[in-house]
Amino acid sequence: MAWQTFEHTADVGLRIEAASLAQLFEEAARALASLWVDDPRWAEDAEAAVADAVARGGEPVEERFALASGEHAELLFDWLHALLVAFEVRRALLPLVHVEVASDEAGLTLRATARGVRVDPALQPLAREVKAITYHRLALRREGARWTAEVVVDV
Amino acid sequence: MDAPFPGRLERIDDVRWRLPCDADRGMRVDGVVFADADLVAALGDDPALAQVAHVATLPGIVGASLAMPDIHWGYGFCIGGVAATDPGRGGVVSPGGVGYDINCGVRLLRSDLREDDLAGRLERLVDALHAHVPTGVGRSGPFRFVGRELDALLAEGVPFLRRRAWATDGDVEHCEAGGVLADARPDLVSDVAKARGADQCGTVGSGNHFVEVQVVDRVVDEAAAAAFGLEVGAVCVLIHSGSRGLGYQVCDDALRTLRGVPERHGIVLPDRQLACAPVASPEGQAYLGAMRAAANYAFCNRQLIAAQVREVFERVFGVPWQRLGLDLVYDVAHNVAKLEAHVVDGRETSLCVHRKGATRAFPAGHPEVPPAYREVGQPVIVPGDMGRASWVLVGGPLAMERSFGTTCHGAGRALSRKAAARSARGRDVRAELAARGVIARAASRKGLDEEQPDAYKDVDRVVDVVHRAGLSLRVARLRPVGVIKG
Repeated sequence: MAWQTFEHTADVGLRIEAASLAQLFEEAARALASLWVDDPRWAEDAEAAVADAVARGGEPVEERFALASGEHAELLFDWLHALLVAFEVRRALLPLVHVEVASDEAGLTLRATARGVRVDPALQPLAREVKAITYHRLALRREGARWTAEVVVDV
Repeated sequence: MDAPFPGRLERIDDVRWRLPCDADRGMRVDGVVFADADLVAALGDDPALAQVAHVATLPGIVGASLAMPDIHWGYGFCIGGVAATDPGRGGVVSPGGVGYDINCGVRLLRSDLREDDLAGRLERLVDALHAHVPTGVGRSGPFRFVGRELDALLAEGVPFLRRRAWATDGDVEHCEAGGVLADARPDLVSDVAKARGADQCGTVGSGNHFVEVQVVDRVVDEAAAAAFGLEVGAVCVLIHSGSRGLGYQVCDDALRTLRGVPERHGIVLPDRQLACAPVASPEGQAYLGAMRAAANYAFCNRQLIAAQVREVFERVFGVPWQRLGLDLVYDVAHNVAKLEAHVVDGRETSLCVHRKGATRAFPAGHPEVPPAYREVGQPVIVPGDMGRASWVLVGGPLAMERSFGTTCHGAGRALSRKAAARSARGRDVRAELAARGVIARAASRKGLDEEQPDAYKDVDRVVDVVHRAGLSLRVARLRPVGVIKG
């Protein structure tokens, strides 16, 4: 698991680490999904958790995303927010993600395919509501060969 | 951004502490924290104090950047933060001064029922509330508002629900602002926000939101309690929720819209979450219009939760809710920015008052206090934690002068969610509450663990400070006997 939570008085902080920018965005999706679901298996092995939910009658879902931003941290913000909207509006819980990130003079673009299940509290006991992704302590940086990010989620 | 405050607090008196204005740090006014010595000591070098100093840098801020005794670390503004800006002097409005949960607030229903009437029925009542009132993440409610209906609700607030017979005249009259902020702009609420809110009106949500059955266990001010319909032993219901996904999205949209706006207006900010725009600017007006719409949604959300609570009481007690006297005492916002008239340097001035985790507390005689309460003052409802107590206060004599008519909003967190969950390991919070005489039902065990009584400061201490500071005065203490949570 390449992410962990950290203390914030009324909310939850996520610290994510990965070998590439694309992997960092993939880990971030898993981290966010694990905040919603009250079952540690979703944090430990999302692939197995999704397969289990589908085997028990859950509806599999797949969504595609295309985002653009001028900077890394804002792209992470926009990405997590897009997943939050998918969860709230379309009830799509999407921890299994393939991300490609490209950069050019115009900025950064993210393309992602995300898989998961339609939210059903009977199949996935839900832990908490995620109100918002925040700019508070939002940071994304490269440290040697590793990419790290911090983001605080309002719950 | 979240470094400890480098200065030091100066004692003004027993319940007020000053962060002196430091022009080198961009502060335009002092910070003032309402707290006693123990609460200040407990704050230590909490980043919330630095946030009080940051807010003091906002253009047009008047008086001081204030914090209530339930202060804790927030985004941009601290929780418990109050700031009034003068639009006539370049004053700004900041979504960070309202928060994500626009018009998160509380409403209190009183009843003619006495604690004895709950004997043998309380568990059934709490179970029925848990089954009937949607709580927790992913739960939609029986109400759905889309298109013109949703726009009308956003524009008109609780009076819209009165037209649909989901609210009474008394419900409208006993809401802050009559349950509607004027000049709301549903057309400026994004489609995503409307989609997030379509089926959430009338749902409690999760986190610190709840519905509690309570009993009045002490009356301190007989006259005010009588005006509010409260007496010792009376059964009450306290509802805590806000504007749900719609409000969160309005805040989120505003923070995106405001990217680059402070810079365009020459405003230097110490924290990105303080993004703001002059009240008089198109961006400021657009945020206020959308925020008011979200605030109206929140008033309606609490009204529809109350309507469902009344249905449950009717079912359990077998008589119409009117015969149980299950009337609204008051509904107050604690995350909102409003244009209000206040006296500045001897002149009445229209100020944009931000209250983030803080409650309006207008005193006796104020024209915005409903006629039924005008002689005693505006009811203030301060939820504590689910194991100890909540308070009903009344707007105090010094509130207008000291805090722009504002007081605290709750106990304030003492433990982070993570620390609270850690301390609950190996324990059964629900059984512990039952041993204290509180029946708790929650959609998730994690929710109950994170919200356990020990996660909060002692509300009695917080209330003692605002009482002694003259911001709001004690009326009655309420003890929880049943709670439903997300």
